[in-house]
Amino acid sequence: MEDGKLARGPMIAITLLRVLVGWHFLYEGIAKITSPSWSAAGYLKQARGPFADIFRWLAAQPDLLAAADSITMWGLTLVGVLLILGLFTRLASLGGIGFILLFYLCNPPFVGLFYSIPVEGSYLIVNKNLVELGALIVVLASGSGVFAGLDTLVHAVLGRKRKTG
Amino acid sequence: MAGDDEKDKVAVPPRPAGGRKLDRRDVLKGLSTVPALGLFGYAWQKQRQYEQAAAGTEQAAAAGDVQDVHVALLGAGAQGQVLTDAMLRIPGVRFRAVCDVWAEYNQRRVVNQLQRFGFQVNAYEDYREMLDKEKELDAVVIATPDFWHAPHAVDCLKAGKHVYCEKEMSNTLEGARAMVAAARETGKLLQIGHQRRSNPRYLHCYRHLLGEAKLLGRIVTVSGQWNRAVTPDLGAPERYTIPEARLKQYGFKNMHQFRNWRWYKGLGGGPIVDLGSHQIDIYTWFLGANPSHVMASGGQLYYDPATHEWYDTAMVVFDYDTPAGPVKAYYQTQTTNGSLGYFENFMGDQGTLLISESEVHAAKVYRDTNAPPWDEWVQKGYITAPKLQEAVEKDKAAVTDVRESVSPDEHKVPIVLKDPYHQPHLQNFFDAVRGSATLNCPPEIGYESAVAVLKVNDAIEAKSRLSFTPEDFAL
Ligand SMILES: NC(=O)c1ccc[n+]([C@@H]2O[C@H](COP(=O)([O-])OP(=O)(O)OC[C@H]3O[C@@H](n4cnc5c(N)ncnc54)[C@H](O)[C@@H]3O)[C@@H](O)[C@H]2O)c1
Repeated sequence: MEDGKLARGPMIAITLLRVLVGWHFLYEGIAKITSPSWSAAGYLKQARGPFADIFRWLAAQPDLLAAADSITMWGLTLVGVLLILGLFTRLASLGGIGFILLFYLCNPPFVGLFYSIPVEGSYLIVNKNLVELGALIVVLASGSGVFAGLDTLVHAVLGRKRKTG
Repeated sequence: MAGDDEKDKVAVPPRPAGGRKLDRRDVLKGLSTVPALGLFGYAWQKQRQYEQAAAGTEQAAAAGDVQDVHVALLGAGAQGQVLTDAMLRIPGVRFRAVCDVWAEYNQRRVVNQLQRFGFQVNAYEDYREMLDKEKELDAVVIATPDFWHAPHAVDCLKAGKHVYCEKEMSNTLEGARAMVAAARETGKLLQIGHQRRSNPRYLHCYRHLLGEAKLLGRIVTVSGQWNRAVTPDLGAPERYTIPEARLKQYGFKNMHQFRNWRWYKGLGGGPIVDLGSHQIDIYTWFLGANPSHVMASGGQLYYDPATHEWYDTAMVVFDYDTPAGPVKAYYQTQTTNGSLGYFENFMGDQGTLLISESEVHAAKVYRDTNAPPWDEWVQKGYITAPKLQEAVEKDKAAVTDVRESVSPDEHKVPIVLKDPYHQPHLQNFFDAVRGSATLNCPPEIGYESAVAVLKVNDAIEAKSRLSFTPEDFAL
């Protein structure tokens, strides 16, 4: 593991992690796209914590809400596909981190905030959102797309272009 | 992706300066996770098939081959939204138009939603323009503020549309009478939105527990309440403020009045009308009689009287002369504390029925010790087997006090409504439009209910007991 190298085993594990997170994003996105009644409004209206006012305000603006809905469902889908394919992996990881951060801040399990949206587990500061965010940080830092993913091809091509161009 | 260069060295052999050719290894690595996407596609396909099959059988069971009903929504506020959500679940409802004077906000929200569901709806601010242009409409669903119900419903009926109109039928009895007359004249259907009349739980209790089994014996007293916690006045985002001219045109002095019309005289009727009308309608329905007298006390105890013209608190006693004998029925609504929420409680000499639209209370019956056994009804599945009252267990150690009645057994009423509260009532309306049902709340019932409810505000003002004459309810 000297000079930032990761051995083959850990890289395979991280790639598996990337595909799993990507799968989850993809289905979250697709499930929203295919359900015409889905809107972020419900989630936003139940916002808690220091940013609750902002999220609730957003839910009350029909135009912004419509935009937020589209960005969420298409964004999640795109991030999911890119993560699975290992294409533009870093950009996709950053996008995914952004989404999760927003979800997390909308309903953070901070100390003293008792009930948020009815949850299925017990969380103190760290919830599954945050764990998934951590997973994406690992993916981001490891360059997993270049190890196994379309980034390999992008790279090879870009590398050549860089020389000629 | 500049930063990738360094990491690149990790997995791929160091690349000769100046790039290199794609080799087989690159391609294999590049495509190595593509199968995961294929697997996803396969799993998703399966999932969709499964969901569609489930939805398909549900719809087929519910609908068979239903005839389309072309519908417009008039009034796309909070309740318009609730009704829309419920209608979207009813097969054969085809949305054609949405009319709301708040074009910037409520109208747009519902139009956007309906478009997402694939309905190309036209949006209107003026309902008369809608009635002129939308010739294909079969029905209009009205959820505007109470003082608009009469003009809206009458004009829609006269334009040949069937109408579902929210309660309170009207804020005036003249308005309510005009609605009954218009429905009779045009022969079109008018359903008033007392949705409990179609709720399977209420229907079960009415038909089976009270009608067939007569579980309560002779009902002598009734109590009920809707307690609601303090709620701040409704506002509106600055940029969606309606221009004053338009507000005036539609009968509102300002945005506060537009948003909080319930609290203003001449527009709404305050909490007793807003909340009480639902439950006082149930008193009348279950007792099988209209009230003969009402006394009430209420007042502006808490909110700013300048912006809350109606009573925030009302405590009411009705007298009923029912076919079985006289009944006293208490009702209270207050808007400063939500404890115990809302329910209606019917008490007879053999048992008690506690019923509510809300799942918090659902419905329970309590058997008094002097009642005949209820085993037959438990066996028929009308009520569940009894749960002994805890108090009885706890009191065992104490010396039994003969002056205290033994706590009655509690039975649950096993009817749960899984759909939104308003769906069965809307379904009943659309079934009636298709000719396969009769209305559960025709205008005559809505009218009787309005007579009983609107008189409460008079009684509070008069500070005396008021009587109803049979002519009050006659049409
Ligand atoms: N059955 C129930 O359980 C239930 C529950 C809540 C409300 N309601 C009833 O529904 C009705 C609406 O209540 P709400 O809470 O939705 O009020 P709201 O103020 O949220 O909505 C009223 C809507 O009507 C629009 N409007 C007002 N005047 C209009 C006009 N002349 N033409 C077209 N649109 C107009 C407003 O812009 C607003 O969007 C009331 O009669 C209320 O009693 C029934």
